[in-house]
Amino acid sequence: MAPARALTIFDVYERFTKGKKVTEAEWDYQIIPTNAAAMKDKYKIKFGKEMIPEDKDMKNRLFQAGMDMLVTTGFYNCDLGRVMNVTEEEVWDGIKKTPKWLLLGEGKDAARFDPRHGNDARKPIIQGGPTGAPVSEEVFVQVMQSYAQEAVVDTLVNGVMATIEGHSAKTNTPWEIKAELAELRAVREARIRAGRPNMAI
Amino acid sequence: MGGLRPCDSHECSQLNELKIDMAALNMLSGWSQNGDTIMIEQMPIFGGYCGGVEETTICDIATTLASFTMFQGNFHLDGPIHIRWGITTARETLQIAGHAAAAIDANTDLLIANQYYPIAGPCTEMCLLETAAQAIVDTASGREMLSGSAAAKGVAMDKTTGMEARIMGEAAIATCGKKISEINGILEKLISSYEKNYHKPPAGKRFQECYDVKTVMPTDEYLQIYDKAVETLNGFGLGIK
Repeated sequence: MAPARALTIFDVYERFTKGKKVTEAEWDYQIIPTNAAAMKDKYKIKFGKEMIPEDKDMKNRLFQAGMDMLVTTGFYNCDLGRVMNVTEEEVWDGIKKTPKWLLLGEGKDAARFDPRHGNDARKPIIQGGPTGAPVSEEVFVQVMQSYAQEAVVDTLVNGVMATIEGHSAKTNTPWEIKAELAELRAVREARIRAGRPNMAI
Repeated sequence: MGGLRPCDSHECSQLNELKIDMAALNMLSGWSQNGDTIMIEQMPIFGGYCGGVEETTICDIATTLASFTMFQGNFHLDGPIHIRWGITTARETLQIAGHAAAAIDANTDLLIANQYYPIAGPCTEMCLLETAAQAIVDTASGREMLSGSAAAKGVAMDKTTGMEARIMGEAAIATCGKKISEINGILEKLISSYEKNYHKPPAGKRFQECYDVKTVMPTDEYLQIYDKAVETLNGFGLGIK
C-alpha cells in the first residue's frame, strides 16, 4: 500500500507508543540474532575472502536482506519498551525524501557532499578529527588545528574535551554542557588558526 | 557563544542493535524542526547480538536505512566494530563495512560515511597502515565520507593527531578509480601485514609528543614514520604520490 506520507520524528514517536511491548533482553538475545540469521538464509548470503564484493547479484541480495531485516524486525525504543514497524514503501519514501547532496561549510571552505558510485574517480569527503576520543582541555585547540591545517581534510569532527576548567565533563551534568560549548569555540579557533574559518564541523 | 550552523552537522547515535532511546528522539525533534543537518551514527558490533560477518552486515544495512526513514538523517555514519578488539580496522569489520557500503551504493544515492578506530596509537607505522586499509575499503566501496581517526581505539587521552587524517585522505585519493579486484589484492597484503600484532599493538605517543604544541608542526620522527608507511603501502601497490 502507498505510504500516507514520509515519516516525521513525531510519526515515529506515535508509532512507538502504539507498538508491541517486548523486553530488551528478548530483543537483544532472541529477536535480533534469530531474524539476522533468517535473512542470511533467505537471501543466501555467504561472503568469500574479498573485502569488497564484485558480484552485482550478491550486492542486490544483501541490500534486500537488510531491507527485509528492517521491515520484518522493526525498531526498538528501549525507554518505552516497544517496537515500531515500517513498510518497504515507507523506507523508499524516506530515501526519496533525503537530500541527494549537501553543502558542508561556507564560502571557499565549503565541501560539496555528493553521491559517489563504486570506486568513483572523485575522492570522498575527508572529515578529520579525533571522532569522539578524549582530548585534554589544554591542547584541544592545537589538536583540532592539526586536522584543520591538513591539505586533504575537508571538514572537521570533534574530540571530546575531557575537562572544563578542571572539572570532569561528566554526562548529564551542567559541566557536560559547558564543555560541549567550549569544544565548539575551540574548534572555531582551530579553524581560524589554520586559515579555514568556515570549514564545517 | 556556542551553536552550530545549518551547514554543520548534528550527530545522534542509534543503540546496538536496531534500538534507540527517547533522548535521541527528543534531540531529533528539535533539529528536524530547526532545519539542521543531521548525521545519524550506528556502530554495529561484530560478534555481538547480530552474530557473524554476514548477519552483522545485514543489520548494518537495516540500521542505515532506518537513519533516513525513521530518524530524519541526511547522512549516515557507520562504524562496524570488533567485539574482541574494539576496532574498526580488523579484517572482519572491514569486510562488513565494504559489503554494506557496496550493497547500499548499488541500490541508492544515499550519503554514507564511516568512522575510524585503529588499535595502534599515533606515531606508529601500524596505526597509519590500519587507517589506510579502512580508507581503501571505504573509498572503493562507494562511501562519500571518511571520518577520523580515533587512534588507540579512541579511548586514550590525547592519542589522536592530524597525521592520521593525512594518511586517511592520501590513501583514499590513491584508491579512487582503481579496479575492485586490484583493491582486494592490495587489501589482502595490507591487512595481513598488521593483523598479527593485535595482541601487542604499539601504544604510540600523545599529541604533545607527536607535535610541537606551540607551532602545531609534526615532529621529524612522525614525518619519517609517515614516509615509511607510504613506502610500505606503495610496495603493496597503492601508489600514493
